[in-house]
Amino acid sequence: MNTAIENAMTNKKLECLVRWTLGGVFVYASIHKILDPSEFAKIIYGYQLVPGYVINLSAIILPFVELFTGLFLLLGIYPRSSAILANVMLGIFMVAISINLIRGHEFDCGCFSVNKNGHTASNIELLIRDAIWFVFGLLPILFRTERLFVIRS
Amino acid sequence: MPLLARTLREISQILVLAILFALGVNAMSPRGIALMGQWDVSEGLVRAGAKNEVMTHDREITRVQDAYALFQTGSVLFVDARDETLYSEGHIKGAESLPVYDYDAHFENFIARHPRMDQTLITYCSGRECEDSHTLATYLTDDGYTKVVIFIDGYPAWQKEGFPVEYGH
Repeated sequence: MNTAIENAMTNKKLECLVRWTLGGVFVYASIHKILDPSEFAKIIYGYQLVPGYVINLSAIILPFVELFTGLFLLLGIYPRSSAILANVMLGIFMVAISINLIRGHEFDCGCFSVNKNGHTASNIELLIRDAIWFVFGLLPILFRTERLFVIRS
Repeated sequence: MPLLARTLREISQILVLAILFALGVNAMSPRGIALMGQWDVSEGLVRAGAKNEVMTHDREITRVQDAYALFQTGSVLFVDARDETLYSEGHIKGAESLPVYDYDAHFENFIARHPRMDQTLITYCSGRECEDSHTLATYLTDDGYTKVVIFIDGYPAWQKEGFPVEYGH
């Protein structure tokens, strides 16, 4: 098992594949939020976790943090720091989803689409999905040898 | 440079870049929103609000009893902005369905049945967290109706008060 992990941590192609996949997911997830900040603000409100004066600023800024994190992962600019930022965001999303799961609050996660009919995705499904991306994100963070396709490491 | 300091510097650069782009794009985009929204249900409809928007409440009915008083006059028409499924599951008695997300498909039929443009229309949806009644009121006003008001507490508050409802289409 340890050998398999060590092999993964030095496999340049695997690191590149994971980094590009994670980057693509973040870019994709950011687009609909950038296109419809008003709807995304309502989704943040739906989480019932942040004070009202923070909601609009979060709806404006967060999608661009996702976008730049994704682009930097794809382009290989600061790959390790970008992956850390990606995992910090995934961690925040998982905490937010978990809190609402615990208190039985139904909401639209707003992860990949802004659904005007108030679609409520399966919270467990969301948590598992974020956890999988989080584990993927560990590879570019812990990777130590030279990486493929990086502009600035 | 120690790894931690370097990581923090790089993350800070990404964040600064993202914040500058976010504020710039929001300022220039026609879809941009205000830096602060209205998220207190006790103050009325919750919404992000467009840039430079002056939130007006002069067309809102903010008390369910006021909406009921208008209902009792028999001279107003309630218009349900929610989708047809929610409408058939229960709506204000006598209300017309005009789903805001399928407005164009339904409007021709609606205006054929309600050609008087000075008829008082009261739009509603699912309460203060729902913007559809405001959107519908804007559409109806743009299409020529001159007396359109919005019952912001919508169907849930009406039903909770035990006021007349009906089911089906």
